[in-house]
Amino acid sequence: MCGIAGVIATTPKGRKELGLNLFKMLEALECRGPDSAGVAMYHAGKKGEICASVMLPEHGDDALEASKIKKALGKAIKKSRTTGKIMHLELVAKGSATEISAKIEAASPGCEVLSLGDSLEIVKQTGSPAQLDKEYGLRQMTGSHAIGHTRLSTESRIDISHSQPFWAHGLLDMASVHNGHITNYHRLRRIYEQQGVRFYTENDSELLGIYLSDQLNQGLTLRQAMEKSIKELDGSFCYLVATKDQMGYVKDSFCLKPLVVGKGEGFIAVATEEIALREAFPKLEIASEPDGKSIQLWTVNA
Amino acid sequence: MPDIDCAKKAIRDINQGIRKVGVKGGRVTLKNPHGMHNLGVGLVGKFDLLVDGSAGYYCGGLMDGASVTVKGNVGWGLAEGMMKGQVLVEGNAGNSAAASIRGGSVVVRGDAGARAGIAMKGGLLLVGGNAGMMAGFLMQKGVIIICGDAGASVASSMYEGTVYVGGKADDLGSDTKVEKPSAVDARFLQETLAKHKIKAPKAFKKIVSARTLWNFKKTEFALWKDVL
Repeated sequence: MCGIAGVIATTPKGRKELGLNLFKMLEALECRGPDSAGVAMYHAGKKGEICASVMLPEHGDDALEASKIKKALGKAIKKSRTTGKIMHLELVAKGSATEISAKIEAASPGCEVLSLGDSLEIVKQTGSPAQLDKEYGLRQMTGSHAIGHTRLSTESRIDISHSQPFWAHGLLDMASVHNGHITNYHRLRRIYEQQGVRFYTENDSELLGIYLSDQLNQGLTLRQAMEKSIKELDGSFCYLVATKDQMGYVKDSFCLKPLVVGKGEGFIAVATEEIALREAFPKLEIASEPDGKSIQLWTVNA
Repeated sequence: MPDIDCAKKAIRDINQGIRKVGVKGGRVTLKNPHGMHNLGVGLVGKFDLLVDGSAGYYCGGLMDGASVTVKGNVGWGLAEGMMKGQVLVEGNAGNSAAASIRGGSVVVRGDAGARAGIAMKGGLLLVGGNAGMMAGFLMQKGVIIICGDAGASVASSMYEGTVYVGGKADDLGSDTKVEKPSAVDARFLQETLAKHKIKAPKAFKKIVSARTLWNFKKTEFALWKDVL
């Protein structure tokens, strides 16, 4: 059991209240996943700049490690702040996402780039959505769309790194949240590792980002990649994926994990349970459970 | 009509409140349910419950004779394991609506999710809209009426009972066959839909068990492939 939630806000008011609404949804889903909570927020970044969320090493002096990263990146950093264990950077950097994150991770061994993108910012931590809000001010966050997760760990450790959402390492702006399990994870992981792909965690949900970015690199569109994932990923799962201008869901072929899609004036919202939609959007007009083996991908007009 | 405000109340207190009134055979309205789980589970006795909004999982589960109306939608396992009674949902239902019911009737005016009427052992499930995949999976007795389209593998591996589909039913499940509804069937369908004020589709397909899986030699591998 985990709780997943996603919102697309189509009005200025909705964009202002994006963090608040996602917070309400996650609070309602906390009982499904009390171990950790996290969000991936999308908001228009400054042109030419890249946002990075970096988790500082688990055991270490945060200030010292942050200074190492600052030193390594030098003038590329336009802005930086550190909250809790997460350092947020605004960069003007050349090179691919992989090169930038490799540079950051080399500067402070044990740190992990949680997200990198023009408009993506991931914050996540162990504990409840209320704690996430206290630490990072989730309720005040704004943006065009967002996905969130409350985690009940079943197979891997409980720490920031293993929490969700996961950034699709190496691909700017793509993030996913997942409820369920992928039973051919180890087989696919071996195949990807032979190709030199690095896995940061033992969490099977991390595979989604790696799988989807691999399909995109092979020339598929995101929609095609999502459709293919229903056939190629085993197990019972339900996931949300978001990019700079898209958000969508995928339901497995057995329809074994719940997801409710809701619509109303000014928003499209999806969540594991309707209770989460009702908490955030009292004026919900439609709410229905999609069938198994189904996908939906919405375009976000920022 | 006593009201119970569900906001900020524990589910146990709500259900005990319903039971207190229910013993006397009254009518209870639940305000602000907001999709809470387990509303009205284990209701025994004849009384009316009105859920003024949406309910979550297992709404009206394990009932024995009560009548439940939900103004909004419901989550998974609507009326699961019900013995007798009536359940009416004005909106949509999640997966496994009317799972394993033994009697009574469950009516969903909107759409139902996957595995509606799974393992039904009696009673009636009426879906006004479409139903998801595997409706009537492993059903043993009773009737399912789907006025809209049925999803993949409808009525798969059913033992007994009947599934009527008004819309598309292109993907039949294992061990099923389609029959033409008799005059008696047609009257039953017409009366049932009229009773619940649901518009009847042009025609119904009647799906029943082909009974090839009732007895078969375990060395017949082709059948195993179909079963699994």
